Amino acid sequence: MASALRAAILGHLRVPVLANGSNLLTPLWIHRTTSVRSMSSHDDHLEKSQVIDRILDIVKSFPKVDPSKVTSEVHFQKDLGLDSLDNVEIIMAIEEEFKLEIPDKEADKIDSCALAIEYVYNHPLAS
Amino acid sequence: MSGAASYLMRRAAQKERVRILYRRALKDTLTWAVHRHLFYPDADALRERFDANKNVEDIETIDRMIADGESQYNKWRHPDPYIVPWAPGGSKFTRNPEPPSGIEIVYDYGREDH
Repeated sequence: MASALRAAILGHLRVPVLANGSNLLTPLWIHRTTSVRSMSSHDDHLEKSQVIDRILDIVKSFPKVDPSKVTSEVHFQKDLGLDSLDNVEIIMAIEEEFKLEIPDKEADKIDSCALAIEYVYNHPLAS
Repeated sequence: MSGAASYLMRRAAQKERVRILYRRALKDTLTWAVHRHLFYPDADALRERFDANKNVEDIETIDRMIADGESQYNKWRHPDPYIVPWAPGGSKFTRNPEPPSGIEIVYDYGREDH
């Protein structure tokens, strides 16, 4: 009896639903602007200055490199006089620093600080 | 001269193979030697092995050495290498994928039978 009454009442009531989701319907702990991405791992947005600082620190702390020559436009093999294997080592250090996994073919092409900074900055999962 | 060009192309391909081999071997060394104080001497030893053959000029010898190195790498590969979690093979890969756009949740609790 009560359930039939309830069903009849519910059949006649219509709660207005706004298309963008009103405060009545969304729980308060869901921040509306981040929607479904708030719980993914894709959220660490790095500033470009942070990226530049960290990459330059890595390159400066490499034992075969003279720290005073390192700028953000430096080419590893031409300006710093490094070997191609040293290049590989620097890229591995960058991968470890930013918790990235760079595919082999891409990693082969990263030859200078500028390229490294661009790659890391444009990578969605760099942290 | 097509001879010189093809020679240079072969050398360039070999250099790329060497770089990729060094990269994989270094990552493998890191997976095997988890503790940093063990990794550094091992990485140095690996670098020495690569540097010892740095000045070989004969193309056939280089090819043979690269094949040799790759087979050694295959022999020593770690069965459970460390892969960054979000990369394919890692533990977080496709764990929380973004739902396709345009899908919404319809909040109709209590009104399902209408």
